[in-house]
Amino acid sequence: MTSASSANSKQQTANSKSLLSAVCCVLCAIGALGLPIVLNAYHIEVLTSALIYALLALGLNLIVGFTGVLHLGYAAMFAIGAYAYGMLSVYGRWPFWLGVPPAMLIAGVSGVALGIPALRVRGDYLAIVTLGFGEIVRIAFTNLEQWTGGPNGLLGIGHPQLWLPGRGLFNFGVASSPYYYLTLLCVLIVAGLSVRLSRSRLGRAWIAIRDDELAAACMGIPVLQLKLLAQGLGGAVAGLGGAIFAAKQGTITPDSFDFILSVMVLAMVVLGGLGSVRGAVLGALVLGTLPELLRGFDQYRMLLFGLSMIIVMRLRPQGFFGGFRHRRHVHAA
Amino acid sequence: MTPLELFAQQLANGLTLGAIYALIALGYTMVYGVVQLINFAHGEVFMAGAYAAVFAVLFVGVSGAPWGVALGVAVGAAVILCAALGWAIERLAYRPIRQASRLNAFITAIGMSLFLQNALMLIGGATDRQFPAIVPALRWEVAGVTVTLIQLLVWGSAAAMMAALQWLVMATRLGKAMRATAQDLTACLLLGIPVDRIIAVTFMAGSSLAAVGGVLFGLQYGTINFHDGYLIGMKAFTAAVLGGIGNIPGAMAGGLLLGLIESLAAGYLSAQWKSVFAFGVLVIVLLWRPTGLFGERVADRA
Amino acid sequence: MKLAHSTQHTAHSRGWKTLFAVCCLLSATSCGPRERVVKIGFVVPLTGDQAPHGEDMLNGAMLAIEHASAQGPVLPGYRLALYPLDDQRNPTQAVTAAKKLVADPAVVAVVGHLNSSCTMPASAIYHQARLLQVSPVSSNPQISRQGFDTFYRTCTTDDLQGPAAARFVVKELGAKRVFILDDMTTYGRGLANEFEAALHRLQAEVVGHEGITQGDKDFAPLLTKIKSFGPDLLYFAGMFPEASLLIKQRKAVGLAAAFMGSDGMFEPALIGLATPQAAEGVYLTTIGSDIHQIPTAQAFLKEYEQRFGSIGAYSAYAYEAASIAAWAIRKAGVPDREAVLAAIKQLKDYPGLFGLQNFDEKGDSRIRDVGVFTVKDGRFQFVKTASLN
Repeated sequence: MTSASSANSKQQTANSKSLLSAVCCVLCAIGALGLPIVLNAYHIEVLTSALIYALLALGLNLIVGFTGVLHLGYAAMFAIGAYAYGMLSVYGRWPFWLGVPPAMLIAGVSGVALGIPALRVRGDYLAIVTLGFGEIVRIAFTNLEQWTGGPNGLLGIGHPQLWLPGRGLFNFGVASSPYYYLTLLCVLIVAGLSVRLSRSRLGRAWIAIRDDELAAACMGIPVLQLKLLAQGLGGAVAGLGGAIFAAKQGTITPDSFDFILSVMVLAMVVLGGLGSVRGAVLGALVLGTLPELLRGFDQYRMLLFGLSMIIVMRLRPQGFFGGFRHRRHVHAA
Repeated sequence: MTPLELFAQQLANGLTLGAIYALIALGYTMVYGVVQLINFAHGEVFMAGAYAAVFAVLFVGVSGAPWGVALGVAVGAAVILCAALGWAIERLAYRPIRQASRLNAFITAIGMSLFLQNALMLIGGATDRQFPAIVPALRWEVAGVTVTLIQLLVWGSAAAMMAALQWLVMATRLGKAMRATAQDLTACLLLGIPVDRIIAVTFMAGSSLAAVGGVLFGLQYGTINFHDGYLIGMKAFTAAVLGGIGNIPGAMAGGLLLGLIESLAAGYLSAQWKSVFAFGVLVIVLLWRPTGLFGERVADRA
Repeated sequence: MKLAHSTQHTAHSRGWKTLFAVCCLLSATSCGPRERVVKIGFVVPLTGDQAPHGEDMLNGAMLAIEHASAQGPVLPGYRLALYPLDDQRNPTQAVTAAKKLVADPAVVAVVGHLNSSCTMPASAIYHQARLLQVSPVSSNPQISRQGFDTFYRTCTTDDLQGPAAARFVVKELGAKRVFILDDMTTYGRGLANEFEAALHRLQAEVVGHEGITQGDKDFAPLLTKIKSFGPDLLYFAGMFPEASLLIKQRKAVGLAAAFMGSDGMFEPALIGLATPQAAEGVYLTTIGSDIHQIPTAQAFLKEYEQRFGSIGAYSAYAYEAASIAAWAIRKAGVPDREAVLAAIKQLKDYPGLFGLQNFDEKGDSRIRDVGVFTVKDGRFQFVKTASLN
């Protein structure tokens, strides 16, 4: 009897908690919608970049947070998405909305392809393979001048266009707020899907793999397929981010996709709390805007940035939203 | 220059670069072997060593002294500073989070790397700095291959350091304690092994090797920049993994192999693709031997 | 279970608190005093590996602002200020910095960026915001071909520098077999391609063209390979850190070919880094003639060296660009972007450091001098001006 009532009250607390967090999210979203009215173009630009980071963090969270694969080449997925849309736009004159699905598909397939070494290679060794892959992709985009424009970058990538009733064809151009809304929408969709996934059978299987791969395999979870699936989905999300980034910049150069970017996105996921969806978004918003906020410190900017990473990790080893659900993992390592 | 002489010269080029990679890779591998942490800031420690040597040589003013003394001053200053830096990094950044997950430690290491890199820029300046040419530019022609005194120093120190380290880890009490800590930290605590001290010593030893690497790097290339630590550090880290991270002869072999691949790729194929070849070989080697060339088959770690 | 739940709850609230503390700390730093200022934005890399060039340029631009203000207020009732931002030579950062400048109504002109790869995407943003951009040294010819009426630059472009260098090595140095290297940047690759095309036109043989990676240190294998090809000249389009290593290591591997480089090498530090012995006899081109040879620039040169030490490669260009931006603001008479744009169109025979400055219809400087220098007795020595007018 007692146990049943306790389970019941736990259920209620969980319900009211999820209701509360849903209300919070809706309020945040409404607030976010109004921001471009209050803030200037620069702030919106910084926020848009942070939101693109949030997309990447959500994608990487699927890989690192859910399945526990340490991935150090995520910038390559982002680059592949960006170049896929960029090349479709420049050479094929594809409009943005048609270019996004292939960009996501190509980045997703690359994600799965990169997952194949995981058949044999594990742990930190796999991390180095992903790092190497990231470097190979970046150098290849630099060297394949005839297709990618090489170090000059790919110029003249089309901006998205939208047909608005009463206003005709609206080109996003180099303005900031249309991209802000577009990215915000994508972040909300991907975050929503991530939350759904994390509570699904698939999400539980992923977390089981992360916490103990051997035990998961013994329980009949198809470890390899699920890992590859996570890498593919993560890649596709990065591809989406890449396509938006390419459309927003109009020009992409290989040095925008260096190893530091992979590391930054990873830091965002860890800072937010491994496996936590809102943590990934928050981590991205904090780390994405921090360098801009620290601009007043001039040369000390990156120094303080590094220092704040160390301090946050010391004060909150589990990240902003690392719950006790992951505590076991924290100690197991 | 006959094709054979050309090849021999390219081998010598590759072995020099490889020996420097190897010296730094030894530090990565030592720390990883004991605490399973990719000490990302190791590349910056290496650069700090090079800067310490420059400042020491300028400050002491060794002109006129025999080059052995000058080199001694440079290496001594670098080793002292780096050992202290290694100790401080471990004490202030890594020890407090030793119980947390390895990803946290990794992010802390990245933060530390950014911090040190920018601290170096603020202290040593953003410009490339000239490294004093304290070692005479002697060179010999051996069977059509040019070898310099600095190259001999690089090879000699790399070999000596590896041998010394292997002896330290395999044949001393301290080394036994290190290996025990690597296997089971908790059990070591129960047995009364001063784990904190052992780990601190490991960091200091690894950092001292990086310091020697920094001085040799400065001598070989003549210019140093605060950004070099990141680039060379990443390659050295790759070398450590290639050889099997945690394994001392592995780090040496990985470093030499990586240096040779880069040199031969640049010398015979294409300089702009050389890193692709290096990472390509890494992926192939790991597919063939998933724990590196010398790595032992260890339990899966996520 | 109860206990565990409460632990989790505290953990979460502590997460929010940490976050809140970080936010408070940061928001406290972003406020500043209010006064009537008109600003010239200035974007170059101030951190990262090209920070040395950026700092040289910042010194030059600050001096220009001081000189302009010393002639009386640029706009009555306003203080002219430089608004420096860092783009870390990263195109993404460049776009963010550009939007920051665009969003500040007090900014009526921009001087920057250093790297062509940064200037390119940023120029579109300035153009859309009707903000005058005077780029000191971004020499890639593509930039002014975009047709932006907001874009001006004070340097010679690479489609002039490359051919001038090619003509010099073939006609004056008598090179017949040339190996080309570049640093795989927008600038280096663009210039090297112009140089290569011009060599083909002059019927010299190009025995190879390869790229190197910025930040790389070890070029011995590449140089050993080049030696086996037996070229009589090695050309490098890139910046001085890599150039100094190439110059030095070329001697170490016994490559006897002559060496010619580009304006990114024109930095006094080059000779020390490469060692004077190895640098002796090296040639390079610059995007403008020698500042030391121009009588009207001597006062600037003396003051700069007194204040900041030896002059950097791009200091004078930054001074020139910032001076012209200040001139345009003064001419406009009001802190209005359109007025500043209209004002710069009236610029004619501006007495700049490099002579009388005029712009063509694309916004490129009409001073199209390419200087040729060599290293002699451990110093840069002016050889000639290869004028293309």
